[in-house]
Order: sequence, then structure tokens, then C-alpha cells
Amino acid sequence: MEGTRPTEGAGEAVSVEFRDATKRYPGAAAPAVDGLTLDVPAGEICVLVGPSGCGKTTAMRMANRMIEITSGDVLIGGSSVRERRPAELRREIGYVIQQVGLFPHRTIAQNIATVPALVGWDRERARARARELLALIGLDPDMADRYPSQLSGGQQQRVGVARALAANPGVMLMDEPFGAVDPINRERLQNEFLRLQAEIRKTVVFVTHDIDEAIKMGDRIAIMRQGGHLAQYATPAELLMDPADGFVEDFVGADRALKRLSLMRVSDVDLWQAPLAHVGQSTAEVRAKLDGAEVPYALVVDGERRPLGWLSDRNLAGATVPQSPDHSPDPKVEREDVLRDALSDLLQAETRYAPVVDAEGRIAGVLSVEIVSEFLTSDDARVEEHPAAERPLG
Amino acid sequence: MVGLLTQLPLIAQAGDFVRPPGEGPTSCVGENNTVCIGWALDNIDRWVTPTLEHLLLVSASVAAGFAIAFGLALLSHGRRWLEPTFIGATGVIYTIPSIALFLILLPITGRGTVTAVIALTLYNLQIIYRNIVTGLGNVPEASRDAGRGMGMTEQQLLWRVALPLAVPEIIAGLRIATVSTVAIATLAIFAGAGGLGDVIYTQGLQNDVFKTAIVVGSLIAIAMAVCFDALYVAGQRVISPWRKVRAI
Repeated sequence: MEGTRPTEGAGEAVSVEFRDATKRYPGAAAPAVDGLTLDVPAGEICVLVGPSGCGKTTAMRMANRMIEITSGDVLIGGSSVRERRPAELRREIGYVIQQVGLFPHRTIAQNIATVPALVGWDRERARARARELLALIGLDPDMADRYPSQLSGGQQQRVGVARALAANPGVMLMDEPFGAVDPINRERLQNEFLRLQAEIRKTVVFVTHDIDEAIKMGDRIAIMRQGGHLAQYATPAELLMDPADGFVEDFVGADRALKRLSLMRVSDVDLWQAPLAHVGQSTAEVRAKLDGAEVPYALVVDGERRPLGWLSDRNLAGATVPQSPDHSPDPKVEREDVLRDALSDLLQAETRYAPVVDAEGRIAGVLSVEIVSEFLTSDDARVEEHPAAERPLG
Repeated sequence: MVGLLTQLPLIAQAGDFVRPPGEGPTSCVGENNTVCIGWALDNIDRWVTPTLEHLLLVSASVAAGFAIAFGLALLSHGRRWLEPTFIGATGVIYTIPSIALFLILLPITGRGTVTAVIALTLYNLQIIYRNIVTGLGNVPEASRDAGRGMGMTEQQLLWRVALPLAVPEIIAGLRIATVSTVAIATLAIFAGAGGLGDVIYTQGLQNDVFKTAIVVGSLIAIAMAVCFDALYVAGQRVISPWRKVRAI
């Protein structure tokens, strides 16, 4: 952990460590953040989540000294933020807020180049960087010379992220960055950011009040409760499996079992196998395979093992397997589908079994409602390895 | 008191002025109660010097007023308690009748342009200062927070964000101040500073009413105010291009 202080343009992700960090406002009866201790490993997204007034934003803002720490410390790349000059420190940390806060009098390119200008990049380099970032966040580089008022809310939010990335910080602080956009745009922005993060691998401290967003975005989630206490710090899967207490259980919601499904892909569960049949094969052979099979229906596949349909009793009564079986193979799900979506497809089609195909459309197994419900009650769903969850001190 | 009054240009200069001759291509000027445009155009030289003097009075006092108000605004920026003090002080000055202010200044600074500019500058402070302060408060809270969070110092926030965003308000203040100064500066004649007051009061009201001079002086003042205003609007377009841009 020693000594990799973020330097200008270095951009290497570094760890963020809260060490008993406490914020106490003068005159307030209780601290806003009370002895927060947690480690965010380099390159991971840590989501601070909790009801309003739990101190999550205060905690985040202690990391760049937008709020002064009363006691304890925050270490970035192993060195204390308290020893840094606030303005200098902040230029090395990306900062995104819900209201975006673009400067209305500056063009998009100038907005993005805010920190590069502060740290003395020349105009050419800053401008090239702005264009590069516009492309990275999926905006037309021709937008560089527009003003913020000419952009939609979603576009402004993307520019806000680009601006935070401009000087290539190792750490990003994001305070409800997608909170002010409509649900459809929010989902798009979340997905874009996750895709971006897979590429840039920053250490991100992300604040939200929305547990679904936390589960979606976080490598780790810190649930905070009133009074600035950390209730639980864990991976999303662990949080949903083993809520530390009643508060966490309530906060993650009664549907936490279902939420776990959104963390899993179809390929994460053990699929069943259906007896496979080929067009023209004798039905006697197929009927023999059906005895004792996991799935009591036979699936017809083509020469490339792509599902054609399910055989009905009437099909099986014939001599050979027909070209077009009575029951369509739909819904088909893909191995990479999110388990929650796959289950939704199954339920919506009012069918018990769905063929699972790989990227080429070839059969990989069968997903059933039973598999999902067994999975949810089994220990397989527990995700191995997770560092000790920090419990509140008091 | 009597000594002071004799310093009033109207009285001091009594008799200096010679009635315009009734000859020339147009002679309607003989009748004082008609406005004689033809004569005014023929005697265009008469208006040039007062107009230039007026321009100087207005430009100098608005520039000085802006410089002082700007300094006061920087001083009170981030020191909220100073604001009411400055607004109060400049407000009190603003309420002093202009001729009275000239009379107060005459024994100190003497007759002439300097006295007039000092008085006119003092009148500008209130409007310009108020507008700068209002403008500096224009920064959206989110932009302020984002600026700080990205590592701008308070000075950088002021010069790179707050001031550019205040430009429309500042220019609005300058427009009001300039137009009102164009009008008040016609009274600078009472401080012996010339300007269009020379046309309106000295030529227009000396001994008898000479309507042509009054109307010509007023028209030049109006034209000057309109020109200044157009300059400001053009200036704002250049300095604050973001303001005229509409969302698509």
C-alpha cells in the first residue's frame, strides 16, 4: 500500500482507505459520519448506500476534503489526504455530482478541460483530450464547441463524467451521478459507465440511495445507517445472502432473493439436459431416451445442434421425428443472459423449460423454474471469498 | 454662501454668450420659440466641442465608477457583511441632488471637468456595484460545488466562473449607469465642465429661451445614449456568447 500517490496524468487506480473517519459538525448532537473504516481496493467500485441522512455523501466528500475530517483519516494510494493541500488533492480525484454542475459559459470542450487547464496542460493537449473523451463516452466530437444548455440532461451527465476523467485521475468520487435522469436514461448511463469502467479501471466511490443501483454498480457495497454508522460492507452477493442485521435486511428489500438473480448469469447455474432428437430419427429411440431423463420432453435439434422445437405426444406417436415439431423451442435463453431476465422469460411464456443456447445458437442445456428455485435455496449461490465485512463500532 | 453661488456658471458666465446671428441661409433662428433644424445643421461646429466634452465626461465617469465598484465588489466578495455597508453608502450618495453635490465639491476640487467626473462617478457606484454583486451571485450552486470539487481555488472560481457568469448583469448595470450619466452630465455645466449642458443651459436658456439649442442638445444626448447602449449590447454578444445561444 506504500507510496503510490496519484500523480498528474498517471491515472493508475489506487486504493482508498477510510480509517476511523469521523465528521462531527459543531453544535450537532451526533456525528454525521461515525468512525467509518473501510478499504476500497484499487480499480473497484465501492457504493456507499443508505437512507437520506445516513452520512454517505459526507463520507464521500471527506475523501477529497470537500468536507474536513474531524478525526480519523482517509488514505488515498496509502497517503493521508489530511497532509495534502485541498485544491491540489482534488485535481487528482475525479468528481461527479448529481446536478452535474457544468459551467454554463464554457463550451463542452472547455468544461471537459477544466482540470487539465488547472494543472497547466497546454491548449492543444487539453482540446485533444476533450475530443478523445467525448468519443469515449459516446458523444459526437462535434459537440465540443456547443454550450451545456444545448445538451440534453443525459448528455450533460455524460459530459460530467468525461470532465471528471479529463486529467486521468486514479480515483473517482460520484455522488448520485445518475440520480437526476429518467429511468430509461439512467439504465443506459449505468451500463455505459460499467462498460467504461471495465476499460479504465478507476477506483470509484459511488454514492446512491437506490439499493438496486448499488447492487448493479458495486463491486462492494457499504450500507450506512442513520448517524453515519457502517451497517455492512460486503459484495452484492454476500449482502443479499447474509444481511448483517435487520436494518440491512430491510434496506435490501423483501425481494432480495430475486435481486440475487440479477447478479447471476444463466451459465452460473447447473443446467439440465433434455433428450435430444434429430429430424428423421425413429421415435422409438427418442421414447427410450425419455425414460428417467431430467427433462421429460425431447428437444429436436438440427445438424448444428440448434433447437428446432419440442416433441409433443402426438409427434412421438408418429414413426419418425418430424421436420417441424408441434411445440416451438421459444423462449430460448442465452448462456450469458442475466438469470433474472431468463426466469422472467420462462414465467412470461408460461412454460417450465427453456433451451439454453450459446452465442452460436447451439444447445447448451435446459433452464427450468426448478433450477432457479433450487439455486436460490442452495449454498451454491454463496459467493466464496470476501474480505471481512466491517461492522459498526458502536 | 453668496460666494459659492457666484461660482455657478450660469451666473458667472452671464453675458459671455452672444445670441446667434439671424443671418445665413436659414433665418428662422430669429424666432426663439421655433426649432430651427436647418440652422442647427448649418452651424454644426457649434455642437462638436460640447458633444466631445460630454462623451469624455460620460466615458470617464462610467469607467471610474466601474473600476471603483468592481474593487468594492471584489472586496465584499466572500465577506457578506460588507455588502449592506457598501450598498448603504453608495445609496446615500445616490440620493444627493446632483447640483448640490457639484456645489459641495466646488470648493474642494474647483471648477472643471475633474469635479464633474468625481460627482458623476459617485452617482454610478450604486447601480454598478449592485449589479456586479447580483451577477457574482449568479453561479449555479452545482457549478460552484463542481468547481471546488475539481480543485479550483476561491480566486479561480471567482475569475474563471463567477465573473464570466456575471457579465450579463454587469453589462446591464453599465447600461443603466451610462444612460443616466448621459442625462445627469448635462448638469456638469454647473461645475464648469462644459458638455451638452453648455448647449442646453447656456445657449438655450441664457437671457431668453432659445428652443433650437435646447432641442439640439437633447437630441444629441439621446443619440449618445442610444449609441452607448448599442455598443454594450454588441460587447455582451462578444464577451458572453453562451448567453445568446438557445437550447435546440
